[in-house]
Amino acid sequence: MRGPLQMLALVRDTFRESLARKIFWGFLGCSTALILLFVLAVNIDLVEGARAAVTLFGQEVNRGRVMDLDLVTRRILGAVAAFLFTAGLFLAVFAAAGLIPTIFEPGRIELLLSKPVTRTRLLLGRYLGTLGVIAFNMAYLVLGVWLVMGIKTGIWNPSFLLAAALAVFAFAVLLTVTLAVAVVSNSAVLATMVTYFFVLISPLLAQHERIAPLFRRQWARDLTEYLYYLFPKVYDLGNMARLAMEGRAFTTWMPLWSSALFGAVVLAAGLWSFARRDY
Amino acid sequence: MVIVTEGLAKHFRRAWSRRLVRAVDGISLEVQPGTAFGLLGPNGSGKTTFVKLLLSVVAPTEGQARLFGRDCRDPQARAPVGYLPENHRFPTYQTGWQMLDFYAALSGVPEPERRRRAGELLELVGLSDWGDVRIGKYSKGMLQRLGLAQALMHRPQLLILDEPSDGVDPLGRRQIRDLLGSLRRDGTTIFLNSHLLGEVELFCDRVAIVSRGRVALEGPLAELTAGSGYRLSAARVTEQARERLRQAATHIAANNGLVDFLFPDRAAANSALDVLRESGAEIESIAAARSTLEEVFLRTVEEAK
Repeated sequence: MRGPLQMLALVRDTFRESLARKIFWGFLGCSTALILLFVLAVNIDLVEGARAAVTLFGQEVNRGRVMDLDLVTRRILGAVAAFLFTAGLFLAVFAAAGLIPTIFEPGRIELLLSKPVTRTRLLLGRYLGTLGVIAFNMAYLVLGVWLVMGIKTGIWNPSFLLAAALAVFAFAVLLTVTLAVAVVSNSAVLATMVTYFFVLISPLLAQHERIAPLFRRQWARDLTEYLYYLFPKVYDLGNMARLAMEGRAFTTWMPLWSSALFGAVVLAAGLWSFARRDY
Repeated sequence: MVIVTEGLAKHFRRAWSRRLVRAVDGISLEVQPGTAFGLLGPNGSGKTTFVKLLLSVVAPTEGQARLFGRDCRDPQARAPVGYLPENHRFPTYQTGWQMLDFYAALSGVPEPERRRRAGELLELVGLSDWGDVRIGKYSKGMLQRLGLAQALMHRPQLLILDEPSDGVDPLGRRQIRDLLGSLRRDGTTIFLNSHLLGEVELFCDRVAIVSRGRVALEGPLAELTAGSGYRLSAARVTEQARERLRQAATHIAANNGLVDFLFPDRAAANSALDVLRESGAEIESIAAARSTLEEVFLRTVEEAK
């Protein structure tokens, strides 16, 4: 009985801290601004039901051509999905870095550890709370845009929600890195830098088949391949989201399960390290 | 036993010099239920590390600690423990209510009880008007009182307080002492880690003095401060009488027109009384000699060097 109560308290406290630090409101404001942009800027004139003329900020984007409404909707939602996998993830990592390491502050951690709560639960509670803050905001943005586009076009594309779920999943994996580095280093800055490293190296490693042959040495070629399979595949997950948006089937599930495996291992390492640390 | 430690030690190496530091070096202690136990020691003697070992905030290098018969690494062992750390940093985004609610939830206190208890304790520590105010606006003394309320939310059987009156004004200090006194009467064991010797002397019935990570002296306060011999104070002591008593007295000192003598036993003190009366001196006081805790502390720390 004590376990769920403690977990709930930790998650709620993370939300409370995100509200107080304006992180939550910052996210919510950005998401609301984006939704309003769609409400005000995107104007779709229906012609014979399935075809449309699209204007963005009053400018006609299809230059007189009659476009397939479903295609237009998919492209717009695809742009939002791309935003989630780029700016959205960057913002999320930045916000999370301000939430995870604060519990390790001297004077705060001692009191938390003095309570009858396991260290694993303490850290998982913080992890889930941070994930919840970001997931809530991503869900708000995605559902908002989805509703606006659905109302404007009458097309309700459920694959957009799958794309959003993939973005939250990618963030959940990256958050394990933030958490593990924060445990080991007690540094929010380092935790953010290392997490961004994984975000930034992902598109490069995604080109491993092209990059690896460029190296003269075999070990360098092997390393590129190993790193690709080892590291979280944020870029590939973004591609999966794009495929989902375009209504195409995934060619492979490997980016999903290998990223999940990476996240699980890093999370376990973070928990293991936290369980053995002195404060 | 509430606390039992056996050869508890924490050693670590300094980051750059790799020099071995024995922060706690084999402390064995027992604290019985209902006791007010004071842990004393100079700065850097290992008091706070010892408390952190008890609460499993740091892991021991050697030895073991048990709380209520459980290994202190077991989270259940900490369930009946309330703790107020020394340099606490309570989350400033929380209000007083929220802070009490949060830490009580971590201690497993259910919702209705938390609400009721937080109200009671805010009233008790004189912060009932501040419950809805963010902690960031609290003064040091208010934070200390709130911290104490936090430690009491789950009705602990053992209260571990690290410098509880740090930053608190004399009135607040008195309130804290009264509160701790009433808790003690209710059977709560109190483990007080403080450098304020007067506070420990007023409140604790058993103390341990730690120096260089080891227990240099431990026992009931009354026994530790009990001196041997008798202290006699008299006015109008003639030089002749003083000379006669110089052999028998272990210590003679003039103080504000009075002369203080210290005699090793009752017989010597009685003989001295006769000599002083014969010489026309006026007896101001005579009492069994006692050391102050400060004297005991300083002597112990000096000897342990």
